[in-house]
Amino acid sequence: MPQLDLEKTLRRIKENQWALADIDWDAPGREMITEEQWPKLKAFMADLTWIEHIGARGFAAMAKKAPNDTLKEIYTWFHAEEQRHANAELALMQRWGMLEEGEIPEPNINLRLTIEWLDKYSDDMPLSVLGSVIPMLEVTLDGALCKFLLDEVKDPVCHEVFKKINADEARHLGVDFHVLEMMGHGPMYRLALESIATAINPKLLLGVAVYFPLLNRMRDNIVTMGLKEEKLYEAMAKFEKYGGETPEGRRNPWYQVMRLHGKWVIDRKNRFYHVPVDAAVKASNYIPKSWLPEVPSWVNKLTWHTTA
Amino acid sequence: MTIEIRKPAKALKGTTAARTTVHRSSSKSAAAKSGEHVYDTLIIGAGFAGLGTAIKLREAGVHNVAILERAAEVGGTWRDNQYPGAACDIPSNLYSFSFAPNPNWSRSYSGSQEILAYVHSLVNDFGLEKLIQYQQNVTRVELDDAQGLWMIHTDGGRVWKGKTVIMASGPLANASFPKIRGIENFKGKKIHSAQWDHDYDFTGKRVAVVGTGASAIQIIPELVKKVDKLKVFQRTPAWVMPRPDFSTSELSKKLFAKLPFTQKAIREALYWTHESMALAVIWSSPVTRLGERLGQAFLKSQVPDPWMRRQLKPDYKLGCKRILVSNDYYPALQKENCELITWPIANIVEQGIRTSEGIEHRVDCIVFATGFDVPKSGTPYPILGVGGRELAKEWQRGAQAYKSINVSGYPNLYIMFGPNSGPGHNSALVYMEQQIAYAVKGIRTILDSNLKMLDVKPDVQAKHNANIQKRLAKTNWNSGCKSWYLTEDGFNATMFPGFATQYAAQMSKFDVKAYRQVKADVTA
Repeated sequence: MPQLDLEKTLRRIKENQWALADIDWDAPGREMITEEQWPKLKAFMADLTWIEHIGARGFAAMAKKAPNDTLKEIYTWFHAEEQRHANAELALMQRWGMLEEGEIPEPNINLRLTIEWLDKYSDDMPLSVLGSVIPMLEVTLDGALCKFLLDEVKDPVCHEVFKKINADEARHLGVDFHVLEMMGHGPMYRLALESIATAINPKLLLGVAVYFPLLNRMRDNIVTMGLKEEKLYEAMAKFEKYGGETPEGRRNPWYQVMRLHGKWVIDRKNRFYHVPVDAAVKASNYIPKSWLPEVPSWVNKLTWHTTA
Repeated sequence: MTIEIRKPAKALKGTTAARTTVHRSSSKSAAAKSGEHVYDTLIIGAGFAGLGTAIKLREAGVHNVAILERAAEVGGTWRDNQYPGAACDIPSNLYSFSFAPNPNWSRSYSGSQEILAYVHSLVNDFGLEKLIQYQQNVTRVELDDAQGLWMIHTDGGRVWKGKTVIMASGPLANASFPKIRGIENFKGKKIHSAQWDHDYDFTGKRVAVVGTGASAIQIIPELVKKVDKLKVFQRTPAWVMPRPDFSTSELSKKLFAKLPFTQKAIREALYWTHESMALAVIWSSPVTRLGERLGQAFLKSQVPDPWMRRQLKPDYKLGCKRILVSNDYYPALQKENCELITWPIANIVEQGIRTSEGIEHRVDCIVFATGFDVPKSGTPYPILGVGGRELAKEWQRGAQAYKSINVSGYPNLYIMFGPNSGPGHNSALVYMEQQIAYAVKGIRTILDSNLKMLDVKPDVQAKHNANIQKRLAKTNWNSGCKSWYLTEDGFNATMFPGFATQYAAQMSKFDVKAYRQVKADVTA
C-alpha cells in the first residue's frame, strides 16, 4: 500500500464530515426487516455498536501517542468518527424499534472487560501495539460485520448509512496501514528489543487476556447470527495482505504477531489456542456483574438522537 | 453598558503632580510654522501603552503630541473586553503603572471594569484628554523620506504628520470570528468575546461557547448562572492554576494611601514572585514539573470524573501555551446545565454546531471566545518605510525588530509590544514601562539632535534577533506545541526569552551607535 500524504488525508477527513441529521431516519424501508431477522439483528447491532465504540476509545489513546501533530489530529477525528458510527448504528436500532426510550444496549461480558482494559491501560500502551491491534479489529470485526449486514438487510436507510460509514472506514484503514508500515522503519534489532520490552509489560498481557476471548466470542456470535465463519477469515486475510504488502510493513514485529495470531484464530484445529481461549470465553460468563466497577463516563456518551 | 469612572486616588494624584514637571520645551517644526501642523510625536492608540507613553513624553518635555484613538473612548483591550467575568490574570498591584499606584483596588485580581476605570483615571490625573483625537482609525502609516516625516492616514482621508510615531495599537486589539466551515449560515446570535453585546439577554437561552482559553474560562462561570444550557466546545485544554483572589480590606487601602511605600513593597514582592515563575514557565526545569503537578492536583481536586479529567488534562508542557488561572472554571463545567464537548467541530449550520461524532448541538447563541488576531507575520495596517518598503512584506515569514521596538528601514517609529517583547510569567505593564522609557530616550535624541532619521542598523538588528532566536530555542514555547505565540511555521516572533529583569536590562541602555543618524536639513 503506497504511503499516504497525511496532510491531504486530514483535509479530506474535514471535508467529508456528515451528521446523523443528514439522514431521514423516518424514510420508508423499516418494514423490510423480517420478524425472523429482528431478534438476531438486535443482538448483532448491539455488538457492532460496541465494537465501534471501543474502537473510538482506541483512537483516543492513539491520539495521545501520535508522533506528529497531523497524525494526532487525524486520530482525534477518527475517535469522533467511530463514535459517530456507533451513534448511527444506535439510530438504526431505534428506527427498527429495538430500543426502549433512553435504552442503550448492554455490552457482552467480553466487550465489558475490554472497555475496562481500554479505560485503565490503553493510554499507557505504545503506538506500536495500538496501531497494530486497531487495524486488525477494524478489518475483521468491523469489516466483516458491515459486509454481512449489507448482504442480509434490505432497508435502504441502512445501506445509505453504511455507505457513509464505509467511506470513513476506508480512510481509517488507509491511515491504519500507513502507520503499521511506518512502525516497521528502523533497525531490526531496535524494533525487536522494543517489542520484547512491550510484550512483557503486565498491562499488555492483561490486554491479551481480554482480547483473545473477545475475538472468539465475536466469532461465535457471528456464527450464531448466520454469518459464515469464512467471511470473518477472509476479512482477516485482508489484514495480512495489506499490512504485509511492503517490506517495512512486514518488518514491523507487531504486524507479525497479529498475523500469527490471526492464523491461530482461523485454524479451528489449533487446540493449543482454541481450547484455553474458548474456556476463557465460557469462564467469563460466570463473572458476576457486581465484580465489575461502574462503567467509565465515556461509555454513556452514546446517543441515537440526531440533535442535542 | 455604563462604565463606572472611579475618582482618582489621592496617592495617584500626588504621584502625578510630582512627576509632571516640564523638562524641556518641545521643538517647533518648520512645517508647523508654515501652518501645516507637524507633531513631534504621534501616538496610535489610547490604551495603557499609548497613554503611558504620552505621560512619560510630557515628563521629558515633549508636549507637541497627539494620540489617535480609533474608538470614542480610551482603554484599548480593557475597553473592548467587557464580557461577563472579564478580569486580569496578574494581580492589580502589579498590573498598573509603577508611577501611578492605585491604593483602592477592590480585589487582588481586579475585573475589567475596574481596570478600565483606572485607565480613565490616568487620563484625568495626567490631563491627557486634550491630546486625544477620538475616532481616528488608522488606515496607513507612511514615511516621507525627503522630509523625514511620518504621514498617518486615518478614515475619512485625514493625514496626520509626525516626526516620530509610537505604534501603541496593541497586539490584542483586533478580533474576528474564526474560520469555521458554515459559520455564515448560523441564524442565531453570534458574539465575540472581545466585542461583547451587552444588550443580549442570555437568560434561559441555549448557548455555545467556542474556545477554552483565557477569555472563555472567565465567561463560562458567569454564563452558566444565567443560561438554560451551556455547551463548551474545547479544542485544546489549557493548564489551569488556582487563583489567589480575595477582596482588599479597607485597612490595607488606607495603609496604601497613607504609606505608599507599603504598596510599593507589595508590588516588589509580587514582581519577584512572578519573576520566579519564569523558571517554570519559560524553561523546562524541575520547577516546571512541580508546576505541572500542582496543575494536575488542582484538576484532580476539582474534577472527580476520570474521563472528564482526561479531557481537561493538557498533553503539552506547562508554559508552552498561556497558563490560565481560575477557581470557578472547573466547577462551572460540572454544573447540571453545562456540557464539555471535545469532539472536533465539523461545521456550523443554521441552528447550531455539528460536531464530528455526528450530533447537531442546537443553540440560540454562539459565543466565540477564540482570541485575537495577533500579528506575528504582518501589521494591523500598511506601514511603509524608507523608499516605500512595506513592513508587512518584510515580516511575512515572521516579525523581527531591534530590542522589540525599532525596525531597520522604519526610522523614528517605536512599536509597543513589538516582536519578542511578550511576557509569559510577569505583568505586561512591567515590560511596557521599559518600552516607554526606551522610546522616550529615542525621541528625545531625535529632537535634541535635530535628526531627520534615527534608523537602527540592519546588521545590529540581525545580530540581536539571532541571539533572541537562539535563546528562544531553549524555551517551553518552542518545545513543540502549537500556540498563538508561534507562526504556522513555528517561528516565535512574540515572546521574550528571559526574565522581566533581563528585558529591563536590554531596554535600559539606549545605544545611539546602533542607529544610522541622518541630520535634518538645516534650511528646512
